[in-house]
Amino acid sequence: MTYSSSLAVGRQNAFNNRGQNAVTFRKRDRSLGPISNTIMLIVLACVLGLLYLTQVTKTNAYGYKVNSLLEQQQQLKSEHDDLEVASARLQSLARVQNSDAAKAMVSVAPAATIQ
Amino acid sequence: MPPYSSGHLAKPIKSVLRARLWYVLIMVIFGVFMVRLFYLQIIRHDYYKRSATLGHLKEYEIPADRGVIRAHNGSTTVPIVLNQTLFTVYADPTLIKDAGKVAETLSSVLKGDSRDYEDKLRTKDTRYVIISRKVGKQQKDDILKKKYPGVGAQEQSYRTYPNGSLAAQLLGFVNDEGKGTYGLEQALNNELAGKPGQLKAVTDINGVPLAANTDNILTEPVKGSEVTLTIDVGMQQQLENLLKAGLDRAKSDSGSAMIMDPNTGAVKAMANWPTYDPASYSKVEDPSVFTNAVVSSPLEIGSTMKPLTVAAALDSGAVNTNFSYFDPSRYVIDDFTVKNIEEDGGPGTKNLADVLNLSLNTGATQMLMRMGGSGDKINKKGRETWHDYMANHYLFGRGTGIEQGYEAEGIIPDPNKGYARDLTYANTSFGQAMTATPLQLGAAFSAMINGGTYYKPHLVDYTINDRGKKIVKQPEAVNKNVVSSQVSRDIIPLLEYVVEQHAFSRKFDQKAYAVGGKTGTAQIAKPEGGYLDNDYNGTYVGFVGGDKPQYVIVVSVHKPKVPGYAGSRAAQPIFGDLAHMLIDSFNVTPKTR
Repeated sequence: MTYSSSLAVGRQNAFNNRGQNAVTFRKRDRSLGPISNTIMLIVLACVLGLLYLTQVTKTNAYGYKVNSLLEQQQQLKSEHDDLEVASARLQSLARVQNSDAAKAMVSVAPAATIQ
Repeated sequence: MPPYSSGHLAKPIKSVLRARLWYVLIMVIFGVFMVRLFYLQIIRHDYYKRSATLGHLKEYEIPADRGVIRAHNGSTTVPIVLNQTLFTVYADPTLIKDAGKVAETLSSVLKGDSRDYEDKLRTKDTRYVIISRKVGKQQKDDILKKKYPGVGAQEQSYRTYPNGSLAAQLLGFVNDEGKGTYGLEQALNNELAGKPGQLKAVTDINGVPLAANTDNILTEPVKGSEVTLTIDVGMQQQLENLLKAGLDRAKSDSGSAMIMDPNTGAVKAMANWPTYDPASYSKVEDPSVFTNAVVSSPLEIGSTMKPLTVAAALDSGAVNTNFSYFDPSRYVIDDFTVKNIEEDGGPGTKNLADVLNLSLNTGATQMLMRMGGSGDKINKKGRETWHDYMANHYLFGRGTGIEQGYEAEGIIPDPNKGYARDLTYANTSFGQAMTATPLQLGAAFSAMINGGTYYKPHLVDYTINDRGKKIVKQPEAVNKNVVSSQVSRDIIPLLEYVVEQHAFSRKFDQKAYAVGGKTGTAQIAKPEGGYLDNDYNGTYVGFVGGDKPQYVIVVSVHKPKVPGYAGSRAAQPIFGDLAHMLIDSFNVTPKTR
């Protein structure tokens, strides 16, 4: 016999010995009262409010990050445009014409037509 | 004693009454609040909403990038108009504490006299003074890092021109309001400008939009289309150089020239002198320099009309290639005498080649007479036939639709209305009493020699829109029956003959290349009527090619001061230089037969 079964048998005997007034246990529905409900609702509302606020703050923080990245993008684009302008200026006909390489060239009149 | 005496009753009644009074009072106060809140929140809702949002709801316009303009450079393309972000440095004089010190800084960074800056900084009764425009980023940063109160900078996008004044009149410029003015910028303003975007958002105190607001509205800007022109920058530069050199030789103050592809209508180069720098358009004193005379300044084209008259006579069946006639050297029409220049040798039998080579006014008049079925007088049928050719075949008197601002239409007279109609029409047969732009002349001449198709002249090769889609502009045939292909083939050797018979500083190898053309010397009409006595416009229209014409060249020289005829002494040498330039540098395919 195990310890638990011996204990169960022991308890059964104890009831049998009394023979009467055995208490029957009924399951009773336990519900929260109106105050508890109100408090819980308030707590829930506060939690939801906090959740909302953290999300809004987080989103706005991302907004600042996005804004900063957009500014960076704009700056890079502006630099790109400047470089494109500089590149176009360096390749312009007038600059090429006045370059040392162009000045060193000699003009040659065509001797004949290639047929 | 009854359990409750009247003295005992009075207390609860008073207490109830007091409670009721309090209740009523509270309700009244509550009611007042309710009424007030109703007034504020419902009735004045819009007002307070507007007031509340005014502080933190901001609207920004996001500018659209204006489209870049590119041009061909041989087989590649290069940008000829770009955008550059520069800054306008401004000051609020009421906030400037030490104007002298600020002026010194401005002078050292922006150059210029510090006293001028100080004067601006001390301007009274204003809170906004522009210190300098078009300031570079580095300079702007150097100024702003000093953190002077009242000094700020505002960025602005400007057009920039890597090739300086190259093709200035063709391109036009963008004014301070961001609107394209003159030339291509004006004609394609909507396409180039794009569409600005909009941001409507709740912002923080620094104006940074708060992302969490669901009412934020963001409309992205639509970038302007990138436009690639049919122009070749190398050809354009050489055209400008040769035009300027030719005008200097001819002692002329102004002139125009154009090169186009007669087989597509694509303009390859187009220039005027004098010109200007579009980046500094505000410094130009004479605004007439903005005008692209090739498309906006119609003129009496003179004898360059004669090939078109001969082609019309051939096409209408009035004459054939073997046609010859007795030329009396003068005709009296409407009591006025139409005559030739003295060097033409007087009366005699002449043919079509003579009409063009000797530039016979009477020959052109004879063509007009023949178009009316007569050999010695101008009649209604002749006038109407020639008018039909001018208006409906060569498309004079109407704009070509090229992508240019302020295109002129020119004038052709009505064949049946007005004074001295026969004389007027005789004059039109050799390019007087009517006006056309060099572009209209080039387009009509191209149609005459390319087989008879009038292609709409155009400057745009293709565009790339904001979504990256490439839209190629196909040649647009406006009229496929300008003249018959046979007439087109017949007229080319006549024009080659003219070139062969005229002196050029460097002769053409006409066995290898087809080079033909015609001079024109036209009187200049006075605004009040009549013509100037000693001033003329010299014009030249011709072609260069091999088996078929590859380029058409039009030259116009205004009031040259060299002795001789303006067409042959001023315009013809420029045509010669341009034709050689094309043969030497731009792959003109030699004849194979």
